[in-house]
Amino acid sequence: MMAAQIAENTHQWRYRLDTSLRVSQRMRRTLLGTVPVHSPLYKLHPLTRFVTLLFLGVLPMFIDWPEINIMILVAIFIYLSWSRVDLSGLKIYLPLTITVAIFMFAISIGFPGYKPDYVGFPFMGLQLFFQPLFFTLASYWRLIAMLFGTIQYFSTNRERDTLVAIRTLHVPFVISYFFSLSLRAAGMFMEDMRIIREAERARGLDETALTLADRAKLYAMYLIPLFTLAIRRTDEITNALVARGYTLSGKLENGNQRSDYILSKYPFRLLDRALILGMLCTFVLVVILRVGFGYWSMDTDPLRIYLLAMLLGGGQ
Amino acid sequence: MKAISCQELSWKYSGRKRFAVENVNLDIEENTFVSIVGPNEHGKTTLVSCIKGLIPANYHGIWYGKVEIFGEDNRNITGQKMASEVGYVFADPESQFTSMTVEEELVFGLENIGLPFQVVHDRLEWVSEITLIKELWDKSPYEISGGQKQRVAIASVLAMKPRIMILDEPTSMLDPIGKDSIFDIMTNVKNETKMTIIVVEHNIEQIAPLSDQILLMYEGQIAKMAPPEEFFNNSDFLVDHGILPPQATAFVDRLKQDGFYDGVLPVDYEGGVKATRQVLQRHTA
Repeated sequence: MMAAQIAENTHQWRYRLDTSLRVSQRMRRTLLGTVPVHSPLYKLHPLTRFVTLLFLGVLPMFIDWPEINIMILVAIFIYLSWSRVDLSGLKIYLPLTITVAIFMFAISIGFPGYKPDYVGFPFMGLQLFFQPLFFTLASYWRLIAMLFGTIQYFSTNRERDTLVAIRTLHVPFVISYFFSLSLRAAGMFMEDMRIIREAERARGLDETALTLADRAKLYAMYLIPLFTLAIRRTDEITNALVARGYTLSGKLENGNQRSDYILSKYPFRLLDRALILGMLCTFVLVVILRVGFGYWSMDTDPLRIYLLAMLLGGGQ
Repeated sequence: MKAISCQELSWKYSGRKRFAVENVNLDIEENTFVSIVGPNEHGKTTLVSCIKGLIPANYHGIWYGKVEIFGEDNRNITGQKMASEVGYVFADPESQFTSMTVEEELVFGLENIGLPFQVVHDRLEWVSEITLIKELWDKSPYEISGGQKQRVAIASVLAMKPRIMILDEPTSMLDPIGKDSIFDIMTNVKNETKMTIIVVEHNIEQIAPLSDQILLMYEGQIAKMAPPEEFFNNSDFLVDHGILPPQATAFVDRLKQDGFYDGVLPVDYEGGVKATRQVLQRHTA
């Protein structure tokens, strides 16, 4: 009788699980968005994807030419599109890009500084200067390329991918695990904060009625329960780690390294090696050419030279 | 063989006035299912924490006595050996999650004890089958339902195939369906493995039929320990110690007190029906 009941219950859970998972398995949640489970992106090893963060996120720092940084930005969008990321989801970053532009150009126009070689020109009743404006333009596109280079990584990867990448690099277990626990702790901290705030609202707190100073005091007061909860959670996580045989060194009692089963599930193919090598070589080459030989510096930008010539020609 | 032996065990948390566990003498045989019941704050979790070795290793306090796991003093057992000998499932599943996907969570303990990949793979398949969580492998343990979280927590310990498995109030945070699923998993584990299982639980209705022994903790001491049929034969004593017997047991006990029944007290619904039928048959005859 009991066996029949178990079988019936089991059947019911399976049905519920199947129904809920059919819906949720289509997309895989990443740190900043979702990616289809069958995205071609997942043919690449997590380390390869991690190197794209270095490549696309840092490379623009060494390039002043806005046209190249715009091309990098286009490449990022092509990469995201190939990864089947919903590009319309990126519009949430539009306010950020506009706000950054407004701030940067407002400062550049309002406080351009002065050098004798500055080329000025009037625009809608304002006196503008070419050099600081172009510097702002170049810096802006560099910043945006770096920003989206970072966004592309976090939009297409999960915490697990980052950990696999770090472990593939043979980073000591304690460091990779510390990183993992930090990610976990950040999520729990936010969750605790939300619960505390909801509990206060449930007891009649109306934050909109508070002055700025009172809000600041309120947020300061949140620190007390948050720290208390953090200490309690530290205690719990310590027990959980000890209960399952965790050691800080990541070594077994016989001195061997703990096994890393998850890592074994990600094959590191020839394509990954080629891509990583290609990206790293390109990166190093760009750094050497930029730092050592001044390639892609602002003064050598064809666009800048062309615009300046137009401006000077027009002035004459 | 004795799986667990506590001798004159006492523990007082630092800063507390009274002992949480006091003079506990307890022997648990291998391959038995023991339920620990009792009111809150009467030493149930402290007792199982002492058995697992979390106390005194991770807490400040005063310890007297000895706990032996398969004949070895648990304070001399290394962390990794203890992890593979004694599994521990916490009441709050989230508090024991250490990884970002269910699959990682399940293999975390197996990796810590250094099992080869093929063994890890086989254990992963086995434990996912027994707890119905294979479909959850790719998900974050924080995104699944309460019942699923607790199944993952149990599976992550079960995968290590410890000889002793302790579950501390595994259903306390679940809805009725979630509770049922956990009890069914415990039934499966009891039937399919030779583990010694210790469960701290308030839900006596469901835990009693599974148990070989029920242990009542009261004011830090063992007030009673007996097989389920004997455990419930003094309802007044249990009620005085904060325990309500299963309804079927209480009903048949009442028939017994009124002289209608003289058999063994049932601990589940089916037993209650059977006992009542006996009474009716005798009465009509």
